[in-house]
Amino acid sequence: MNHNAIAAMITVMLKELRDLFRDKRTIRIALLMAFFNPLLMLGLISMTEKRVSSQLEKPLELPVVGAQYAPNLVAWLSGQNVDVLPAPVDADATIRNQDRDVILSIGKDYPKDWHDGMPAKVEIVHDSSRQDAQIPVERVENLLQAYSQTMGSLRLVARGVSPAVVSPLRVAHRDLATPESKRGLALSFLPYLLILSGFLGGANLVIDATAGERERQSLEPLLATPSTRSAIMSGKIAAACLFGMLILVLTLVLYKLAFTYGPSTGLKFDVSLLTMSKLLLVLAPVVLLGTTLLTLIAASAKSVKEAQGYMNILVMLPLIPTLILLVNPIKTQIWQFAVPFLSQNQLIMKLLRMEVVTPAEWSIYLLSGFGLGLLLWAVAAQLYHRERLAISA
Amino acid sequence: MIEARNLHKAFASKTGKVVAVDDVSFVANNGEITGLLGPNGAGKTTTLRMLYTLMRPEPGSVSVDGFDSVRDAEAVRRRLGVLPDARGVYKRLTARENIAYFGRLHQMPESEIAARIALLSKALDMDDFLDRQTEGFSQGQRTKTAIARALVHDPMNVILDEPTNGLDVMTTRGLRDFLRQLRAEGRCVIFSSHIMQEVAALCDRIVVIAKGRVVAQGSADELRAQTGEGDLENAFVKAIGSDEGLHP
Repeated sequence: MNHNAIAAMITVMLKELRDLFRDKRTIRIALLMAFFNPLLMLGLISMTEKRVSSQLEKPLELPVVGAQYAPNLVAWLSGQNVDVLPAPVDADATIRNQDRDVILSIGKDYPKDWHDGMPAKVEIVHDSSRQDAQIPVERVENLLQAYSQTMGSLRLVARGVSPAVVSPLRVAHRDLATPESKRGLALSFLPYLLILSGFLGGANLVIDATAGERERQSLEPLLATPSTRSAIMSGKIAAACLFGMLILVLTLVLYKLAFTYGPSTGLKFDVSLLTMSKLLLVLAPVVLLGTTLLTLIAASAKSVKEAQGYMNILVMLPLIPTLILLVNPIKTQIWQFAVPFLSQNQLIMKLLRMEVVTPAEWSIYLLSGFGLGLLLWAVAAQLYHRERLAISA
Repeated sequence: MIEARNLHKAFASKTGKVVAVDDVSFVANNGEITGLLGPNGAGKTTTLRMLYTLMRPEPGSVSVDGFDSVRDAEAVRRRLGVLPDARGVYKRLTARENIAYFGRLHQMPESEIAARIALLSKALDMDDFLDRQTEGFSQGQRTKTAIARALVHDPMNVILDEPTNGLDVMTTRGLRDFLRQLRAEGRCVIFSSHIMQEVAALCDRIVVIAKGRVVAQGSADELRAQTGEGDLENAFVKAIGSDEGLHP
């Protein structure tokens, strides 16, 4: 590119940015998105946290059917942070209507079986498809297990047998998840939000600068200036990339503020300046990709409306790896760093989990990411040279 | 000076090939106003688009001050001031910013841009609205902005596609004076119109186009002589073969 082309590119870029910053509506929407992003995450995380901790710690409300058959068990449960409630008229209906998370049902054979030293039947009534009932059900199960084990041990001791005899295995968990990787789990769709705002943050500007310019009949005079079409297009792409990066920086700064000064979520999120800069580097190729792809679409679409129609599909693109990883989690492998959207997903997760990204992974990622962006740029430039481009209607 | 030699252009459409321009040749000299006259859809806009390098002649050639429009497209555009059929201005920029943007794309220094804007604003009577954002401009104000933008780099050759379209009588009169001034400065001016009176009032040479072909060209007197009609309007009707589109 010669000196003239670069000068033209910069002129176009500055004009597009000036034009954009006078467009109050577009700026307002962009700012709203930047604010919405961390707020949504913060809200989601604190909601999850609150539910988990309240369900774990607050007294478990447990209606018991047939409490009179097992007074000892019920008394023991009451001593374990359980509020034993009177039985509902129809236990099954109560669960089905989601009036209660879990109900304990004690059969009328319980006293007889207990005395005979036979396993006495107790039933946990619940709906396994209800996610929010999972924790209460688990708590009841664990309590009954503990009671059963204690009573079993006491019976063995009464017969002069060591309880260890019936415990050939002692299973214990050693959870190697770092606190950081647990955070990563909770933040599993933070990558999508970040990728999306990088991918489509400058979308309005891009569509307006090509399809909008043609629709408003100002592209033809612009192409009658000595500037080459590639230089004009590059200026528009550069303006959109710059704006996209600006939105990203703002979003990340807001994330930092939200997680530093926002309500404590119990989850700490790595908001160090270094991680933030790395995130920005990960997202830079996404900005280029989105901008060039949209330029390509805007240059071939007949109108702004048609170009905007493609947005519905583009919004879905970064979601694909998130969804695939959700149903089919795969181990991170080197080839993944060359796949758009999947690579960003993996890298952002790695950074949030404070895992090391190797130089090889960085180079594969940046080369393929920017490479694809430049390829799309070249294709878009080809489209810009078509005669049809300038002519509206 | 602009020379068009055997210009052809056809477009593919759903119903097949549509020939828009079919062997158009003419010469537009410096210090003259050349008028392209023809009914709507005659191929005037397509012809002009080939002159300012937006489209390639297929086949045919255009030269502007000796530069070929395909081989030296950039040099040609440097020598041309163009008011295309599409004359949208950026509505969030002021008229001055719109004009200056094009000055920068012509790589003019800022001081020269400012001087040219002052000059053009005076000539086109734009001082009242020069520093207003163009949103809400009248058709005349928009056209003036577009003309000033096209001429900011002081081009020797000026191409205007139906410049008086949608303008009121006073603005049209002002514009005619402005075009005469460009001619007096020795520039080569080409403009297209479908209005006979306008072409007759301004042009030194007239190129009459119908159905993509040149059906007559010359001065008003030469046209009268060619067609054997004493009245210019009858001469045009005879040349075109109908009186379609010849009235305002």
